[in-house]
Amino acid sequence: MKKRGIGYASTFYGTGYGNGFPDISRAIAELGKDGNVYIYVGATEVGQGAKTILSQIAAEALGIDFSKITFICEDTSITPDAGTAAASRQTYNTGNAIKLAAEELKREIMNVASEELNVNTTNIQEYLKKIADIKGDKVIRKDGIFTASTTEMDVETGQGNPYYPYTFSVYGVEVEVDTSTGIVEVLRAACGQDVGRAINPKLIEGQIDGGFSMGLGYAIMEDLNVENGKIKHDRFTSYLIPTALDMPDIDKIIVEDPESTGPYGAKGIGEPVLIAVAPAILNAIYNAVGVRMTEVPVTPEKLLKALREKERGA
Amino acid sequence: MEIKEVFKPKAIEEAIKLLDHYQEASKIIAGGTDLIISIREGKEPAPVIIDVSSIGEIKEINEIDEWIEIGAGTTFTNITEAAILQGRYQGLIDAAASVGSPQIRNAATIGGNICNASPAADFIPPLLALDSLLIIQSTDQIREVKLEDFLRDKGKVALSSNEILTKVKFKKLNKGQGLGFNKLGLRKALAISRICTAVYLEVSEDSKCNEMRIANGSLGRYGLREKAVEDYFKGRALTDDTIRIGGGLLKDEVNSRLQGRSSAEFKREAVDGVFTVALTKAIENCSHRKGDLI
Repeated sequence: MKKRGIGYASTFYGTGYGNGFPDISRAIAELGKDGNVYIYVGATEVGQGAKTILSQIAAEALGIDFSKITFICEDTSITPDAGTAAASRQTYNTGNAIKLAAEELKREIMNVASEELNVNTTNIQEYLKKIADIKGDKVIRKDGIFTASTTEMDVETGQGNPYYPYTFSVYGVEVEVDTSTGIVEVLRAACGQDVGRAINPKLIEGQIDGGFSMGLGYAIMEDLNVENGKIKHDRFTSYLIPTALDMPDIDKIIVEDPESTGPYGAKGIGEPVLIAVAPAILNAIYNAVGVRMTEVPVTPEKLLKALREKERGA
Repeated sequence: MEIKEVFKPKAIEEAIKLLDHYQEASKIIAGGTDLIISIREGKEPAPVIIDVSSIGEIKEINEIDEWIEIGAGTTFTNITEAAILQGRYQGLIDAAASVGSPQIRNAATIGGNICNASPAADFIPPLLALDSLLIIQSTDQIREVKLEDFLRDKGKVALSSNEILTKVKFKKLNKGQGLGFNKLGLRKALAISRICTAVYLEVSEDSKCNEMRIANGSLGRYGLREKAVEDYFKGRALTDDTIRIGGGLLKDEVNSRLQGRSSAEFKREAVDGVFTVALTKAIENCSHRKGDLI
């Protein structure tokens, strides 16, 4: 028999390294000889869209077209350290560093425009090449450094300000459980995600899909099967991750409530989009069949066993 | 073992001459979805590869008299697209469609699936349920063998080193006959079956089971028929009650066969659900019109 159920889960998540660990992002903004703006930053693109979002932040701060930005990252010989692409921190932390560097660069370009060209404007795009030509080999180059707010928690009281800012997220999931085989199918899902400000809504939707697939795998598939310290599921034929066919359609609700310390109000969402998925799925399983699973992944084997135990007990 | 030579014959005659010459030193490759992996893992002992993927004769699907003949070099994609197999043979199409991913189905062949004899081979149970015969060629002879007798053990088949499997054939299905298939995998694509079940069914005009052949994969060392359960259904009406009792018998069979294995507890329970769906599909496929048993 197939039984359906709905489950919800919510989370709030502190982004950045946290607990007093030094969390510093650095960036350089430069007006190149060709009149384009070069952003040098150590941030790593791992598919999350950092290159796009960080370029957008630079273009916004300078008030110039996205196409005028040349973004250079992942080359430690020419880029300053922006920390790891981890802890959901690149948009917020490195975004702030780039914004600071780009604002500094814009101020300097405006100064040069005023002094050398007798132009007083905030709209600098059409003067970029002229100013680059005037400066010649002495390119204008500005640093931006952003240090995140974090303090170590008091070991006695457990109190302090370990993270800043926090991101909020809610998932609703509907599942169908086949009570004769223990197979769980996720039929549909909805995600309400606080983002501060959506710098790039499409990329946020992509992150939600990606986070959901990870949460889905975590909830019902991904099993290392460790025996005596050895991983038995040591390849992707046995360590299963969801395929596109296993993914439901997700209704994505992007909640914008600008964070005053974020670049244009933006906050990190990389991990937050994953965290509430598995508990929402397990709650939906409970709602469908009345069995409270307390260990992931909920494989058909474990769920069928729990269902039979419940039947015997009833 | 390092590969020393690769041949790409265009005809069966050429291939069997090469096999006859190299014998155990050679290995046939078709889609390569299993062989390439074992070569990369250094597990393949043969230094000579005979690539049969350009032999057109072994890629055809034909109706010949009362038989359907499928070439061993037919890919799973070819099976899913074969107009001749729509309807009563839907179980074959479902089994082919459940293999791996589009990339694997485009390359992997039914001959490879049979000759590698994995316990989880998805295409073996439906062919067993159709009581298929295999056509095997060598320089000396062309012989026919029942698939059931060809499968010897996990990964072991009755094929000599100078022989090649060229075709699979089974009797055409007629009015009141149909094939159903169902698979329990842990995800919707690229899933190795935990259980797969095929049911061939022939129903009489008064909706009784004239004949049933059930074959399972992943429930033993190789694909197996479930004859005790088949015998129970013969001559009985297919009702909720008989299907429940038959499913119960299958659970008992699987339980005793998998005794002592960690998967026994799960598989003996789940097989009932997998079988019931396969049987329901077989009933549907007996008729071109859903719900009409004849």
